[in-house]
Amino acid sequence: MVFDTLSERLRQVALHSLAFCRDRYGNNGVKIEEGIDDAIMWRPSYFLKLGKFKIVAVEVEDNLYPETLKGAAHDISHYDFPISVYQACTLEAFLGDPKHKKVALLKKHGFGIITVDDEGNTVVQHACVPLAQHISPDVFDSAISELSPQIKVAFRSAYTVYETNETQGLQEAGQIVEAIISAILTGAIKAGDVGAGAGGQTLANRIDAMYASQALAGHRAALGGTREFVQEFRNTVSHPAKNAKQAAEKIRKCRRGFLEAIDLAVKLRLLAQAKGYKIKVHIG
Amino acid sequence: MMSEKQPHGQLRDLSPDKIERNPENPRLFFRPEEMDTLIASIRRYGIQVPITVYEDDGRYVLIDGERRWRSALKLNLKKIPALIQPKPTRLNNLLLMFNIHALREQWDYLTIANKLPDVISLFTSEHNGKEPNEQELSDLTGLTRGQIRRCRLLFDLPEHYRNLLEEELALPKHLQRLSEDFFIEMEKALKTVQKRLPNAVPDLDRARDALIVKFQQGTINNITDFRKLSKIATSISNVGVREDKATRAVLDIFDLTKPTNIHDIYAEQFEIRYDERKISLNVDSVYEYLDATVESEDEASIGRELRERLVRLKDLIDRILQVDNGL
Repeated sequence: MVFDTLSERLRQVALHSLAFCRDRYGNNGVKIEEGIDDAIMWRPSYFLKLGKFKIVAVEVEDNLYPETLKGAAHDISHYDFPISVYQACTLEAFLGDPKHKKVALLKKHGFGIITVDDEGNTVVQHACVPLAQHISPDVFDSAISELSPQIKVAFRSAYTVYETNETQGLQEAGQIVEAIISAILTGAIKAGDVGAGAGGQTLANRIDAMYASQALAGHRAALGGTREFVQEFRNTVSHPAKNAKQAAEKIRKCRRGFLEAIDLAVKLRLLAQAKGYKIKVHIG
Repeated sequence: MMSEKQPHGQLRDLSPDKIERNPENPRLFFRPEEMDTLIASIRRYGIQVPITVYEDDGRYVLIDGERRWRSALKLNLKKIPALIQPKPTRLNNLLLMFNIHALREQWDYLTIANKLPDVISLFTSEHNGKEPNEQELSDLTGLTRGQIRRCRLLFDLPEHYRNLLEEELALPKHLQRLSEDFFIEMEKALKTVQKRLPNAVPDLDRARDALIVKFQQGTINNITDFRKLSKIATSISNVGVREDKATRAVLDIFDLTKPTNIHDIYAEQFEIRYDERKISLNVDSVYEYLDATVESEDEASIGRELRERLVRLKDLIDRILQVDNGL
């Protein structure tokens, strides 16, 4: 009998949530009570493959945010296959979580939540992305805290996109950085810190022009970082993954890139403030 | 008192996937909080104490260590240290687990209650139809006689109440409302009421249902209140309460349309009678002591402190009796 180690109540949760996931994601590679890989110290209640390179794994348990998930999070986010992890529980356990503390922790740490009620109705209470992609709202809010309100709004919009599509989200974050560079360049030209001709060149050349300027010599770290960012993450965005390992690596790169874009925006804002340039961001 | 001596086993590393649950293992409930602690420990330190299994047709069946085995599965471990014992008889298999768990950790009473009848029937068939008495059961299983009696209260419950309790025990602790202790206390009280006031319990299941609902709603908010229900039922013989008064109180408690709770009705109508009985017994004992002192003609044996207390008591009694006379 499948789900033999679960209580009858949880067995029903497992059966209903599995039927729901099969209906939603298809029957590809369904495995019940088996390990995903020896490198991961966790055996989900079940998992299935979503498309070619993603796994959706589900832990059926009424004890919200169990030790197994906490302990496995690191292994999962470093594994060469993007894995989204859900906890499936009874609706009663979900609603009975005091002050929704554990529910909030699950969300914060990138886990999704599926509930099943007494009639077998299954609901995704909180959707999730692969753990390797997840940036918690706390981390994001802290990262953007030193940005201007206008740039914060732009990054929030990019973050919303990132939460469902990491490539598109990174692309939007990259566009914000580009817009800031353009604004700084305009300021630098106005101030006579770089020549007027620099404005008409490619983004990389514009950065190089500012990098070469003696007036901006104290800000070469920020400018150099931006130059590398533009190069590396344009590549990341434009190259599709050919296998699961590449897909996992791409997701990790997107995550790093998204946070780096915010970090660079903070540094470039400091540059603008120091030089008295105004930053007006227009993102199309 | 096992049926036969178990031989020593052989230690090996086994794949957790080759191990099966023991069909006789009465442990039904694995508290998630306890499992969490064990999983965290095993993740960090590994499994330090081997589980015990027996071999059966190329598979291994658990005798001891189901929580460790489940943790090993959950942690996706490839090997688990195991002590392999020869296959025991069914009774020995059951008794091995009873003894392991009764000595080392507290099983849930319902868990034991569900398996105790198997022990009784297997023992009976091995002993020419002779059922084990309570002492023999205690020797066999390692349970105390008190534990066995509590288990029997649960086992005697109709099946749907046992299922209800089973469902409740499977919930995380903070969601559990009904407990084994609730049912044990309720059943003890109901037995007393049935015996002393049979007219108050025309339908035992309806009485149970009412008490369960009132407890779930918070009308009855403490399981020790069931002891007061017993005292209401025994008040006729113990403190001379009229039967119709006690019956009415119990019927009100069992009536879901009335908000009557055990604590309040006991405090309002019965507690004073029990207090009076207690005081009467104390008065009797003081009287007997003083009477014996008078008889011995040794009044000087009453010390100064006691004498002062007696004077204060006498003044108080005089005042109360004067008020009573005045009325």
